[in-house]
Amino acid sequence: MSGYELLARDLAACGRDGFTGEVRVSGSPGGAFHLRGGLVVAVESPGAPGPEALLLRSGRIGGEEWAALVRESGGARWPAAGLIAHGYAGAAQLRVVCAMSLQDAAFAVVAGSVDGCERGPAAVAPPAAVAVGEPPTRLLQEASRKLRALLALPYPVRPDRERPTPAPVSCAASRLGALRCELLAHADGRRTARDLAFRTGRGVYTVTVEVARMLGEGLLECVDAPHSIPVRLPADGGGLRPREPGPPAAPPPGPDATALPRRRPGASGINEALTPEPDGGTGWKEFFRLRNPTTR
Amino acid sequence: MDHEALAREMRGLREQVSGITDTAVAAADGLLIAADTADSIDPEGLAALAAAGIGLARRTSEATARGALHRTVAYGSHGCAAFYAVGDTALMVVLGDEGMDVERLHTATQPALRRIDLILTRKAAEGV
Repeated sequence: MSGYELLARDLAACGRDGFTGEVRVSGSPGGAFHLRGGLVVAVESPGAPGPEALLLRSGRIGGEEWAALVRESGGARWPAAGLIAHGYAGAAQLRVVCAMSLQDAAFAVVAGSVDGCERGPAAVAPPAAVAVGEPPTRLLQEASRKLRALLALPYPVRPDRERPTPAPVSCAASRLGALRCELLAHADGRRTARDLAFRTGRGVYTVTVEVARMLGEGLLECVDAPHSIPVRLPADGGGLRPREPGPPAAPPPGPDATALPRRRPGASGINEALTPEPDGGTGWKEFFRLRNPTTR
Repeated sequence: MDHEALAREMRGLREQVSGITDTAVAAADGLLIAADTADSIDPEGLAALAAAGIGLARRTSEATARGALHRTVAYGSHGCAAFYAVGDTALMVVLGDEGMDVERLHTATQPALRRIDLILTRKAAEGV
């Protein structure tokens, strides 16, 4: 039984059983299917950008802002309410992003190799779950259809196999779409279609299909020989030396020798710099005057 | 030292774990030995940062009685940087994007670290 058949059989059984929990798929890239009542409500895979990566990498929201939203929501992995409240995205947009990400992750799992599946309890609420889940059989059939379509292209590409570089002709190509321009900018012979999807904040299926088309049109090319990794040795030629142990421990300053270094109040000198002197010479006023000479 | 074996280990790790973007091996003092990095990364600076990061983490671990340091990982919104000690002589840096399964990385690096240590120390023993 192939890995795909194993996955299809197990997920179909989950659907029949009305299973609620997680199905972990081992393999490359593998992933996890989150089910509720036999329907798939979220799929996570290292092979496809999740909703968070799609929003962050596409520039919809910055890293600092995302961190603030996560704090505001009490540590939620998917701060949907905050994203909507602060105007980063609409509710409908987020639903679309989650649904696309679910489909894309299922495709990534199916396009890779599946070694095994294991049911597990739903440890935590799945992040970025869709409100209405997908029947697992239909989800896998759709992913399988996409893979067949991809492999039927004149230059079939796997998401984690080819590492294309821009072909010389690509420099002369004009009127390329935004996606193609981005892929040409980031394809460096090191990145797979999966890597390019993460880098550009787009779905891995979309990017893999575009890479396949660009390879077929000669805009990208694959170099067979792996790039070289230069190795250099320490200048003394005597080989590597073990790291030097730290300096001998200083005699314990206090009664507790194992205590962590302790900060002494006033050690930085900031108080002396900012507190007014008795004669009123320096202080906050002086500090502001230094920063802005026109202040009196 | 078998240069090609070291390069093979670094390349193999990147192909083995989805999401690894760059790897580098440096001496324990932060001098770069080999880098499989994109043009946007300064490998010399990365090696120096890794040595400082591992050193700080090791001291923190000792000062707080957390035992031997296994690794240190810096997480950002676009991925993470993992620093591993390679025996007593060197260290390895692995950069990954936000999709990288960090637990899987830790599992995959253990045999690679052992082999890289052997490759590096074999060189040292030969004195080449």
